[in-house]
Amino acid sequence: MTQSPTLSRRSTSSAPALRKSRQRGADARAGYTFLLPWLLGFIALTVGPMISSLYLSFTNYNLFDPPKWIGLDNYTTLFQDERFLQSVGVTVGYVVFGTPLKLAAALAVAMLLNSKRRGQGFYRSAFYAPSLIGASVSIAIVWKAMFGDNGPVDQGLSIFGINLGGWVGNPSMTMPMFILLTVWQFGAPMVIFLAGLKQIPNDLYEAASMDGAGPVRKFFNITWPMLSPVIFFNLLMETIHAFQIFASAYIISNGEGGPAGSTLFYTLYLYLRGFSDFRMGYASAMAWLLVIVVGIITLIFFRTSKSWVHYSGDAK
Amino acid sequence: MINRRHFLTTVAVGTASAAALAACGTGPSSSGETGSAEKPVTINYTWWGNDDRAERTRKAIALFESKNPDIKVNGNFTDFAGYWQKRATEAAGGGLPDVMQWDLSYLRDYGQRNQLLDLGTVKINTDAFDKSLLPSGQIKGKTYGIPTSTNAFAVYYDPAKLASLGVAEPDGSWTYKEFNDFLTEVGTKSNSALFGSTDYTGVWWMFNIWLRQNGIEAFTEDGKLGFTKDDMKKWWNTTAGLRGTPAIVSEERVTQLAPKSPFGSNVTATEVTWDNFMAGYLADSGAKELKLVPVPSDDKDNLGLFLKPSMLMVASAKTKYKDAAARFIDFMVNDPEVGQIFKTSRGVPASKTQRDGTTFEGTDKLVVDYEKSIEKYLKDAPQPPIVGFGTLEASFKRVSSDLNYGKLTIDGAADAWFKEAEDLIKQNA
Repeated sequence: MTQSPTLSRRSTSSAPALRKSRQRGADARAGYTFLLPWLLGFIALTVGPMISSLYLSFTNYNLFDPPKWIGLDNYTTLFQDERFLQSVGVTVGYVVFGTPLKLAAALAVAMLLNSKRRGQGFYRSAFYAPSLIGASVSIAIVWKAMFGDNGPVDQGLSIFGINLGGWVGNPSMTMPMFILLTVWQFGAPMVIFLAGLKQIPNDLYEAASMDGAGPVRKFFNITWPMLSPVIFFNLLMETIHAFQIFASAYIISNGEGGPAGSTLFYTLYLYLRGFSDFRMGYASAMAWLLVIVVGIITLIFFRTSKSWVHYSGDAK
Repeated sequence: MINRRHFLTTVAVGTASAAALAACGTGPSSSGETGSAEKPVTINYTWWGNDDRAERTRKAIALFESKNPDIKVNGNFTDFAGYWQKRATEAAGGGLPDVMQWDLSYLRDYGQRNQLLDLGTVKINTDAFDKSLLPSGQIKGKTYGIPTSTNAFAVYYDPAKLASLGVAEPDGSWTYKEFNDFLTEVGTKSNSALFGSTDYTGVWWMFNIWLRQNGIEAFTEDGKLGFTKDDMKKWWNTTAGLRGTPAIVSEERVTQLAPKSPFGSNVTATEVTWDNFMAGYLADSGAKELKLVPVPSDDKDNLGLFLKPSMLMVASAKTKYKDAAARFIDFMVNDPEVGQIFKTSRGVPASKTQRDGTTFEGTDKLVVDYEKSIEKYLKDAPQPPIVGFGTLEASFKRVSSDLNYGKLTIDGAADAWFKEAEDLIKQNA
């Protein structure tokens, strides 16, 4: 990549082989030098902890005493742990319902913002803003207040004669609340969708209009296939992201996963196991299980993508 | 260009001088590093609590700093739940704050695992302490915590609310049935505008007291459970008829009001909890006066009550400033002016000098008088409970809450808790 024109010129000069390899060596050294800070960080802060967590997942480790090797015990006890199964259920429900809704909202708004109207710049920023601040602690606190007893949502709904009471304390309303929260933060995928939409040549739509295609037909026959690589990317990223929900769950449930375990997300339970119950080995096993599951899901996405994702230049 | 030789020399000289500088510094002695008025040392102090306690603590710290110009105290606080997760993270990283407010529930977890300083090795004056109280800060002969104050369990009520409902004030000599009838009366007479109480069977320490009323200790000497599943079911059955009635506020409301308590939010007329919550409740609810009476008991002569160290002061085993930490702890537990700042908000001061130096008026006097009034019923304070007790207490609260949500039956709740408890005891064996 960094091979400059000089290099290609030199390679045609006399004693080419030796010079070339020397130059390459120097390039590589320079490259690695520049890479070094990142590489050190990657090894010390990512690979190292991952390996030690893999080791810890086979031990009984309470943070204070040296870890005791117990083999696969952590992994096997996981599946007899009702709270673990509950956390899996909660998380899967959130991913399955939250992610598609969020992407649908992102795509819908992106399409609205794609047309040329006055004040588009303002709308784009306005819709993007929630996802900028969305992951922050303050939003979770505001959200909690909004959906609390006599909060704005409760009062707003009661105008229409719907009396649900506060959502925060009601186990059957917390999941809809979390899904709303994630849908509301559609800004990041929206921006990517918007970029993708800009890439679709307008003449395709014009040609389709000439042939008498309506908006629905245009969407399914032009927008969807042309946008499919972007949809695929967003789907993958948002799915992985959704599995990792933590901060908002921690804050809204006071770090307990309540009420009645309805917000006991996977990572929250992992955290509680590690730092409240001092079961770091157990938490490590959970972390690795999550890595494996997300890996498998990613693999499935890539495998099935062949049938619906179209790249330009594809034979299809 | 960097000359290789020159570069290496620079590095070598730099390293050597850094090492030399380090050697010149005052190396850690047995009493730790000390400061002076010109160059004070800074110790970190952390506590849990609400704004009320934060304000009082800041006053105490300012007083300490003015009397000890060679020490600066860097204060920090969170709520109770987040507090312990933070400490665990810090302990794992070897960076616990120098001095910490501590709870009996977690003393064994950290003390037994060498995370806390043996306070017997530093200078802290405990002459003015009741000798029966000090052992609750000790494990295997080593002192890890000094109690700041004592608290006891009580039933709070708001006399003004009872008067407005036309309900007679209780005198505290009641059986569980009488207590339950009282809660129902409050809820019914107020047309559910005011609930009787939060479900008191969801409070671990109340369960513990009930066990003691029945002659059972919660944990055995060798760290096993001293009660059976049936005991637990019987306990939860005490309020089985009240759940979902105006006698007990719904778990939904409790969750929604958190972190404030329903009592502090004026949603219930009574609350069963520690007597040192008085200041916090007054601040939260805005009530003029709150009163305290003993907990119910079916045995008039055995109320199962005890004085517990409401909080302890501990130091990190790894603190660099042992001497400064000890002086701060000594000040916080003994200084009469500190007693004057906290009154009974940490509990009734444990040291006699602090107790004598404090004037208790109004509601503070109520707390002190309450502890005096139950003196004849008091039993020995429980020893620091088993390792992992904090987890068990939290899980008791959670399982009870699931019970109130109707997600678990009483049998299911007992099964769930026992499974966790047995697993935990096995883990730490």
